[in-house]
Amino acid sequence: MIGCYDFCGHYDWTFAWLRKQGGADLERAYWQDAIAGDSQRHAADLIKPLGFAGMAKYWEHTLTEEAAGYTITKGENVFRTDMHRCPSRGFLLDNGISFSADYCDHCIGWIGPVMKEAGFVIDHEHNHCGQCWWEMRKAEDPTAPSEPGDLARQADVRLRENWKASPGKLDRFSRSTSVTEKELPPSRRLSRGARSDSR
Amino acid sequence: MTSNNLPYHDTKPQGAADFYFAINATFRFIHACLGRDGWVRYLHELASGYFAPVNEVWRRDGLQAVAPYWRDFYAAEPGAEVDVHDDNQTVTVEVRVCPAIAHLKKHQREIVPYYCEHCYHLNNARAEAAGLCMRLAGGNGRCRQTFSHAADPQDMNTIAEATS
Repeated sequence: MIGCYDFCGHYDWTFAWLRKQGGADLERAYWQDAIAGDSQRHAADLIKPLGFAGMAKYWEHTLTEEAAGYTITKGENVFRTDMHRCPSRGFLLDNGISFSADYCDHCIGWIGPVMKEAGFVIDHEHNHCGQCWWEMRKAEDPTAPSEPGDLARQADVRLRENWKASPGKLDRFSRSTSVTEKELPPSRRLSRGARSDSR
Repeated sequence: MTSNNLPYHDTKPQGAADFYFAINATFRFIHACLGRDGWVRYLHELASGYFAPVNEVWRRDGLQAVAPYWRDFYAAEPGAEVDVHDDNQTVTVEVRVCPAIAHLKKHQREIVPYYCEHCYHLNNARAEAAGLCMRLAGGNGRCRQTFSHAADPQDMNTIAEATS
């Protein structure tokens, strides 16, 4: 039986297997169709009709079930999460598991399509070490993402020492709904010669 | 392998049951994109690749390593009710309540009808990598999985179709 205890391990292995079968296109289709459209369809069922309230309901349940170290900041026109200890990436790091090209991409890989369908855009960064932040706003809202500490105060993951120490590791998405819209830091952009390593 | 017979450790004692939704969806996606052969190949390669650390322990220690593995495995799966018997010739895993099928049914998810076949394709491939074999009878929430050194070929008709 494929179990849920080590789910993140075989999930990561599956990303790599799919990419081997059909390239990054198949991996992206998996996140969009199988995860966003099937497995996590309850997220869309909450977010599409309820908007920010639906996001709160979905992530408060799922992040608690997964025992994540996180904070949620609810503004009138924004929903923000700061992940200080991602249980999913943390499982891989703790167990020395590394099969796929960039495990962290799977989150925006499925959340992006859900947000697009619901009329929201995402500002997001992850540092590949189990920390990330997300801000969701309505697609028609031109507001720029918050500056560190302005919205989430002391809970802002960007204030962590290890975040400040890892600028070369940060992957960024701006007003995005797709994993293909990744903005790599300059050092990695030059070395890879591409906008996204998920293409 | 770690002290509790599982190759990987989490910070919480049991997994998150909603991940069964993703496993069911993964089967549906691979089956739709790559066909039945592709889905079976996925399970065989998962068995020989991802599960290699467990296979190696089973190969080295034989059947005596199989029973403790499954006891610890099911202890970490939320909602599982399973008895594991070991008589030196066979290890029998009696699944009284399959945690995945139970959770999928509880949440009214459409279960792929071939869901229970995955245990045969995956676990027999893992057993074969260790010089053993596994046969399955039942399914759709309850089944018996028997690990031994030799057995008649699997009769696929003894594996029940999963229903939602």
